[in-house]
Amino acid sequence: MIEIIRPLTQLVNLQSPLSLNDYISEGGYQGASKALHDYSPKQVLDLVGDSGLKGRGGAGFPTGMKWSCVPMFEADDDNAPAFKYLVANADEMEPGTFKDRYLLEGAPHQLVEAMIIAAYTIAANRGYIFLRGEYHLAGKRLQQAINEAYQQNWLGKNIQGTNFSFDLYVHTSAGRYICGEETALINALEGRRANPRAKPPFPQISGLFGQPTVVNNVETLCNLPHIVKQGADWFKALSPNSDSGTKIYAACGRVKSPGLWELPMGTTIREILYQHAGGMAGGFKLRGLLPGGASTDFLLPEHLDTPMDFDSIAKVGSRLGTGGLIVLDDKNCPVAMVLNLMRFFAQESCGFCTPCRDGTPWAVEVLTRIEQGTGRKEDLDTLYNLCDFMWLGKTHCALAPGAVEPLKSALRYFSDEFEQHIDNGCCSYQQDNIVNKSLTLQSSQGGAVHG
Amino acid sequence: MDDKNISAAQKVTVYIDNIAYQVSKENNLLAGVLSQKLNLPYFCWHPSMGSVGACRQCAVTQYQDENDTRGRLVMACMTSVSDGMRISLQDKDSAKFREQVIGAMMTNHPHDCPVCAEGGECHLQDMTVMTGHSVRDYQGTKRTFNNQYLGELVGHEMNRCITCYRCTRFYNDYAGGKDFGVYGSKNQVYFGRQKDGTLASEFSGNLVEVCPTGVFTNKVFSAHYTRKWDLQSAPSVCAHCSVGCNTSIGERYGSVRRVMNRYNYDLNGYFLCDRGRYGIGFVNSAQRIKKAQGINQTSPEKLTRLDVSRALAHFRDKRFIGIGSARASLEANFYLKQIVGEDNFSAGYNRQQMAVAKEYQQLLSDNFIDDKMLSLREIEQCDFILLVGEDLTKTSPRIALALRQACRNSGIEKAASMGVASWQDSAVRTISGKRNSPFFAMQPMATKLDELTEQCLLLAPDDIEQVMLALTTVLCLTDNEKSNYFHQEEWQAFTFEQQSFINKVISALATAKKPLIVTGDSLLSAKILLATNKLMACLKNQATPSKVNLVVLPSASNSIGLLSLIDEKSISSEQVLAKVSTKTVAGLICLEQELTVYTNEQLTLLREHAEVIIVLDHSESRVSQLADIVLPAAAISEGNGHFVNYQGRIQRFSQVHAAALPILDSWKWLSYIEKALDFSISNQATLQRKKAKPKENLAELHDYFSENFTLWPTLKDEQLEQKFVARMTKRASGRTSQSANFSVHEAKVVEDKDQHYRFSMEGNKPNAVKNMPFTWAPGWNSNQSINHHQVEIQGQLSHYSDDVYVSFNFTRESDKNVAVNDDTLAAVITDLTAKKTLTYFPQGCLFQGEWQSALTAEFQLLAHSLEKNPTLYLSTEFVESQGWEPGQWLNVSADNKSCFAQLKCNNELPQYLVYGNINDFVDHKSGLSIKLTEVSEADVIQYQKNRQTHYQHLKVIQQNTLKQLKISDQHIPIRFVAGGLDDA
Ligand SMILES: Cc1cc2nc3c(=O)[nH]c(=O)nc-3n(C[C@H](O)[C@H](O)[C@H](O)COP(=O)(O)O)c2cc1C
Ligand code: SF4
Ligand code: SF4
Ligand code: SF4
Ligand code: FES
Repeated sequence: MIEIIRPLTQLVNLQSPLSLNDYISEGGYQGASKALHDYSPKQVLDLVGDSGLKGRGGAGFPTGMKWSCVPMFEADDDNAPAFKYLVANADEMEPGTFKDRYLLEGAPHQLVEAMIIAAYTIAANRGYIFLRGEYHLAGKRLQQAINEAYQQNWLGKNIQGTNFSFDLYVHTSAGRYICGEETALINALEGRRANPRAKPPFPQISGLFGQPTVVNNVETLCNLPHIVKQGADWFKALSPNSDSGTKIYAACGRVKSPGLWELPMGTTIREILYQHAGGMAGGFKLRGLLPGGASTDFLLPEHLDTPMDFDSIAKVGSRLGTGGLIVLDDKNCPVAMVLNLMRFFAQESCGFCTPCRDGTPWAVEVLTRIEQGTGRKEDLDTLYNLCDFMWLGKTHCALAPGAVEPLKSALRYFSDEFEQHIDNGCCSYQQDNIVNKSLTLQSSQGGAVHG
Repeated sequence: MDDKNISAAQKVTVYIDNIAYQVSKENNLLAGVLSQKLNLPYFCWHPSMGSVGACRQCAVTQYQDENDTRGRLVMACMTSVSDGMRISLQDKDSAKFREQVIGAMMTNHPHDCPVCAEGGECHLQDMTVMTGHSVRDYQGTKRTFNNQYLGELVGHEMNRCITCYRCTRFYNDYAGGKDFGVYGSKNQVYFGRQKDGTLASEFSGNLVEVCPTGVFTNKVFSAHYTRKWDLQSAPSVCAHCSVGCNTSIGERYGSVRRVMNRYNYDLNGYFLCDRGRYGIGFVNSAQRIKKAQGINQTSPEKLTRLDVSRALAHFRDKRFIGIGSARASLEANFYLKQIVGEDNFSAGYNRQQMAVAKEYQQLLSDNFIDDKMLSLREIEQCDFILLVGEDLTKTSPRIALALRQACRNSGIEKAASMGVASWQDSAVRTISGKRNSPFFAMQPMATKLDELTEQCLLLAPDDIEQVMLALTTVLCLTDNEKSNYFHQEEWQAFTFEQQSFINKVISALATAKKPLIVTGDSLLSAKILLATNKLMACLKNQATPSKVNLVVLPSASNSIGLLSLIDEKSISSEQVLAKVSTKTVAGLICLEQELTVYTNEQLTLLREHAEVIIVLDHSESRVSQLADIVLPAAAISEGNGHFVNYQGRIQRFSQVHAAALPILDSWKWLSYIEKALDFSISNQATLQRKKAKPKENLAELHDYFSENFTLWPTLKDEQLEQKFVARMTKRASGRTSQSANFSVHEAKVVEDKDQHYRFSMEGNKPNAVKNMPFTWAPGWNSNQSINHHQVEIQGQLSHYSDDVYVSFNFTRESDKNVAVNDDTLAAVITDLTAKKTLTYFPQGCLFQGEWQSALTAEFQLLAHSLEKNPTLYLSTEFVESQGWEPGQWLNVSADNKSCFAQLKCNNELPQYLVYGNINDFVDHKSGLSIKLTEVSEADVIQYQKNRQTHYQHLKVIQQNTLKQLKISDQHIPIRFVAGGLDDA
């Protein structure tokens, strides 16, 4: 078997992450050092652009392009803003997604180093790690890493004798899914309600406290030390197809060994599911899967050979999202699964725009009745209408269209299931799944969908 | 180029459902569509507050070109207008989506229109009908919320909320309120306070109009409720401060029910302050004077003119002093002055106030002969503010709100530089961050605007004057001279803060594009006005890049009208007393004047010496109680006339309903008095009008004035194209049967002799006149129908015509005659500068600051609210020197009164300066020497008990007033019985 190169995870140690010195002796901070000493910000920007790195937060936006929108100023320019900000999006609340946690807990210095590089490139002088509130351990380890970095002048004033200064803070979220949306995140950081902002202006121009701000996903950022150290071509070559680098894929549901694996970008679903996750657990058959977290469309067994990269997944009608597979088997009710997801989204809607705020609970209400066996034929029309109602362009942010994706695709692929529920007046899956236990609209917390 | 031309130049072609329209590029697409009077539903957008894209109700389909048949859904309010753009309102996709939005909102909106106070003027009802949503699809249950007690003015019914965020955008973002917000998320978003309690904003009542549903309602209106369509309304002008906000007053069955904002492009726009909205309650108060007093009535049923003439005959050919008032109409004041003669005319001002008035006139004639003072709308466009000596949130609240908007201009400009239009509300706020236009303020007490200032100095009036003078000096100096001056003693006498204040003001002024200085007379300081004039003179000679604007704000609705009548012969209150004491005159005619300038002793003296005191007023006062003859005057809703606002703008208020006789306009009473007394002998100038006869209506009065007096400003009376405008709505119900319990015959419609409005539902549409009685348009039953009556959204009204202004050309023959005794004035001032005694300045009170509105039952409750204690702010230094603790209670005594207040510290205060919110001292605007003594705990407990008792007493008054109104609904006091003065 060929040795797979795993730049992101090679230094991960979940038990006890590397201290600054150990991290350095394993080759850490070489990327940052190279960037600070050998490259101008523009050169790093070009390097990242050339590498083809795309955002790992879900939308797959080219990182170099995003950064190139940040206004740059000469040192003596009066128009230069007092602050520019870099934010690491470590909110990770997408159901079925736990890749950032792995990186945060296992290699906190990698993120710190990455943020130094990114901040240097966009000339940001202040950085925040916006951390999911429940990630206590990651919070502790990050703070530890930051303290060490300050002690050895990898953070603070005139880093490593250069003109570049950068302060980095950990901010723990109060815990809302919407805080992961970058502009809602910025509002939350400012102490405001976590409602997404209207765009334009884009955060790169006017973000945190009105200043230029870049928000990147943790995994996106963690690629930077390696790109700087090894070059754009090396990074491109990591992947066999058009998207560059590696990707941390994950699988959960009724598979033999749920988990996550750093693999070349574009590894097929089949390989992830059957080689790495060990295939379906005993007695379960694959019914379908969400390829990249809860807010992506269902795919079917027939799509197993699709490479997990942005374009290929889009071609078969879904999205790469976070690359976390959520597997639906033949013993669990698809309607119940969609209901469970929809309850999560209804719970997490920020309440700003009408289609999402009032549409998701409405979908929950209809799905609940169908799942309980009191659905009516017209309910399916209502669901189709709601999918249409909450679709892209109609809402203020991408949460609602994300919520629609599993429902809309389930209505397409599992329409017979919905109809049977209505015709038979019951759910034919006998097992007691969590949905049947708590069929109230007021479920206290949305959660992940394991089993 | 004026605004209209600018917008005309910016117009581009937009195809809406394939029809070409000329649409302004300055505003968003939604405003553009509505400007064409097309129907497009919306919720979260507000013409004054801009767009945030929350409700998604305004979706339209936009096409790339003629060949594009699919198009793309866009939110009209979030889309800018571009030349040649093509959109559709009628296409299936956008129409379906708009209907779905309503459907989604209705998943939680209760079906309680029949019992909802908003019903019949509800924007949600209108929009629901507009989208065609009529059948409910949602099968689930509805969410429920608890409602809150938000005080005496605003009701709360959260279940009706459709989560459009307008309320918080107004209350928090636009008006700077702190005690209101958004709580929760998903479909459980709550708009309210953290806990029950009175809303602290001076603008809370706007929630009623801003909220598109019945969540926030006018609580006073709800308590004595009627549907909008049953109200009789007329255009009015707010009687409670000098801004002159336009209002629409609604009445039914003889009692005033509510005040609504009446859109005015130049002034109030879409918002009123709470004093303006709720202060109308005085019209219904128990203190109203409804009968003539001191006149023998021949018939018990009615007072006749003969009765009045007989009562006055005794005084024929005697001289009277007339005391005018800043709350009476321009007509009444003018008339009074003509009747008594200029030697005997007083504004009711004492020497100090006369000195202020003189300086005020000087300031106006020196600065506003060619230019008009900025309108409120123009104030909002300023980008530098120096505010001198005013607590605007309490004296001219709507201007305070305008200054808040002016502060945003720096951020708006930044946004514009990034290509973000000003209507993109959330984007502009994002870009602005904490950026504020430069704002500097000086006044003796902390105010709500201080938080917006770059620097704010708390100073006594004389120190404010000193800073102004130094500012003027430094401004006039060259750089060389400056560095010299900075070494001089004069400059060194200022504190470091004061020095840096002056320097910062000067440097900010240098870059401002539209700088503004705001001052007023609320501290009764002639010196501040003089210093302002000097500063303006200096600025005029300076090569400042932009012209510096000045706005001066007086205290009352017609202060400037009164000021325009004061001349060198006008007498001060001291001179009135002297003239009466020496029997130079027979007596006094007090026109809507409660004579607060006099102490009780002085008033007794006046009473003893005057042969007769005639009072014309609508409510009882300490003067009316002493009067020989009291004539019941019309309150604002019952009369016709004009007020002159701070700019000199003459604005008409119109009769809403005919009050029960013998309540008459003051000017009408004056015409009777003129006839009965026949002053021709006492006054040369009046010889030629010997045949004075009572004036029946304003037009007659104006003709009479114009013929006889050159000083009377020509007021163009609006020409109506055809017939009359109805004061009632087309669907007003029950007018014909409202007196059926007395007689089955339909009551005769009272004829309005004065103007274009009819006490009826028959007549022209409300928008056929410049001053609309109320607003309505087909399909638009809420106040948002105003969209249909503007040339362009947020622009002028379709029937706009220019207002007339009083002249500010106060040239005097000589100044020596003006009734100022400089010694007395100096004495008052040295008292303050001695700085030995503590000088107290009252923080303004929205509910007590103006005499008429203060009679409103709800305002009395609010002014004496138990939610907060009377508080006294002292300098930390002083408090420590006394060994006192913040929170401690003290006895405050002055002016023969004493009361309790709780102590608080303010680090910014100079040692001698004290301010607070003690009810008893609210009138002592120019400062009051106070003594502080410690009090025992038992005394405080007793004091608090007394407060509670008093509060309960006021609560009972409120309830009784309401009860009385409901009783009188059963005995409609409308003048359908012929007879009385009116019909003579
Ligand atoms: C509802 C919602 C939730 C999101 N949550 C996350 C998240 O938890 N973590 C994340 O990195 N990006 C999240 N995103 C995407 C971010 O908005 C943003 O695109 C991303 O942080 C950009 O980083 P990248 O360019 O490095 O991918 C979310 C987006 C939406 C609409
Ligand atoms: S779609 Fe609308 S309601 Fe939903 S999270 Fe985004 S902004 Fe909030
Ligand atoms: S209370 Fe009224 S204004 Fe506020 S969000 Fe609800 S509907 Fe809108
Ligand atoms: S009191 Fe003044 S600011 Fe308030 S509504 Fe009346 S005129 Fe306007
Ligand atoms: S009015 Fe346009 S989204 Fe609300």
